[in-house]
Amino acid sequence: MSNLKYAYFPGCPSESTAIDQDMSVKAVFERLGVELEEMEDWNCCGASEVEDPEIVYALNARNLAIAEKKGLNIMTPCSICYYNLQRSNKVLRENEELRKKIHSIDSSLTYNGGVEVKHVVDALVNDIGIEEISSKVQKKVNVKVAPYYGCYMGRPPLTAFDDPDAPILMDRLIEVIGGEVVPFDYRKAKCCGGPLMMTVPDIAFKMARDILEGAKNAGADCIVLACPLCGMMLDAKQEDIEEAFGIKIGLPVLYITQLLGLALGISPDKLGLNKNVVDTKAIVGRVV
Amino acid sequence: MIKTWELDPNFKYEILKEPGGEHLTACFQCSTCTLGCPLTEIIPTYNPRRMIQMSLLGMRNEVLSNPDLWVCLICQTCTARCPQDVQIADLLGAIRRIAEREEETGKLKISSVRPSFDKAFMHQIQKYGRLYDMGLAMEYYKVKEGSFIKGMMAMSKDYKKFGMRMFKKGKMGVKSMFPEKVKDREVMRKIFERMGAEKK
Repeated sequence: MSNLKYAYFPGCPSESTAIDQDMSVKAVFERLGVELEEMEDWNCCGASEVEDPEIVYALNARNLAIAEKKGLNIMTPCSICYYNLQRSNKVLRENEELRKKIHSIDSSLTYNGGVEVKHVVDALVNDIGIEEISSKVQKKVNVKVAPYYGCYMGRPPLTAFDDPDAPILMDRLIEVIGGEVVPFDYRKAKCCGGPLMMTVPDIAFKMARDILEGAKNAGADCIVLACPLCGMMLDAKQEDIEEAFGIKIGLPVLYITQLLGLALGISPDKLGLNKNVVDTKAIVGRVV
Repeated sequence: MIKTWELDPNFKYEILKEPGGEHLTACFQCSTCTLGCPLTEIIPTYNPRRMIQMSLLGMRNEVLSNPDLWVCLICQTCTARCPQDVQIADLLGAIRRIAEREEETGKLKISSVRPSFDKAFMHQIQKYGRLYDMGLAMEYYKVKEGSFIKGMMAMSKDYKKFGMRMFKKGKMGVKSMFPEKVKDREVMRKIFERMGAEKK
């Protein structure tokens, strides 16, 4: 795998609320021998708050151009960054008029269509490969896992790299490290409520509660996911959700790269496992 | 009830011109969008199919003042399942932007706080090129509560426990008080100035 290298797009929460994801992605890729070069001066993808698609395309033309100059494909750990980077990539490749319009704003926005965009789960399963990962596994993860994919791995069709209703790629990663995937059916890809967290919190909390209780009722020891906003709702806000509904959940929520990193023999501290809000010690203790 | 004399026959063309709204007229009212929408478990009357038909009929005021416009999660389930490729998640975004422009010109009052949040978010990108959480929260709460002081009070009430929790885990600290900035901030300003449907 020594020839594989990505331009790394960390996303805005990577140094704060999703620092555990950022740490674990870097540690896992290092262990797998895949180089990550952080993109120089990357900018915000627009998240779900920039609703005008043309502004999203222009913001990401700059990001795509930065990677293109380096001759590298982009890998990002955030599902929303992935969606915005990938849809901009696809639309800009097809639409010459739009490329010209964006180019006329500033020369730093000139993108010629030569970059591929990968979500971290896509990169792990489809670029690096299950076999390669399997050959580096050192420990068995004796844990029952509810794999939570959220919205943007399988939807919308333009950017999807997994099934919209029954995604499977994280299941394969969990199985190869010895974890047991609990039946989590449609909740795997049902929205966590994140986009309404600040504006309509009661709806956001009801959405998140359904995922958390669904995982618990399915007998999971933890939830595994790969998006900082899902992590915010299900991990950082879990206590607020418990309080709002008068319920007890207490379910650890890990990024897929944290669980994978444990199986690869990386130390819990290096994977940021002391930074998850719901305590992860019980999970760490069952990786032997 | 539909009042035919109040219909605006141009409304559908207005939406078709808005980025994201291009596929409106492909809808054949099968209701797949509504049946798959996770919001209907929480709001049983939530009905994107109905909003599309009202738009096609020209019920401009009813559509633009419908509070349900502002609760879409953009989860893309409707878009993934639509047999006519209407791209409903983007379509509702296009209608929201038309409503926001109506409000800016004083013709509509939006009861949802979502436009204020989105605007505050965009201001952070315009200014810094990256999301500055603290700046976003301070601006949003100020607008939502009507003054800086009221905003700060409401924010500390809502986020005191959460903030402590994040601080203890090293996810928020002194560093989070200050924005991360891209070097080329001039281009951020230019993107927001030059792009977008209203700038055509």
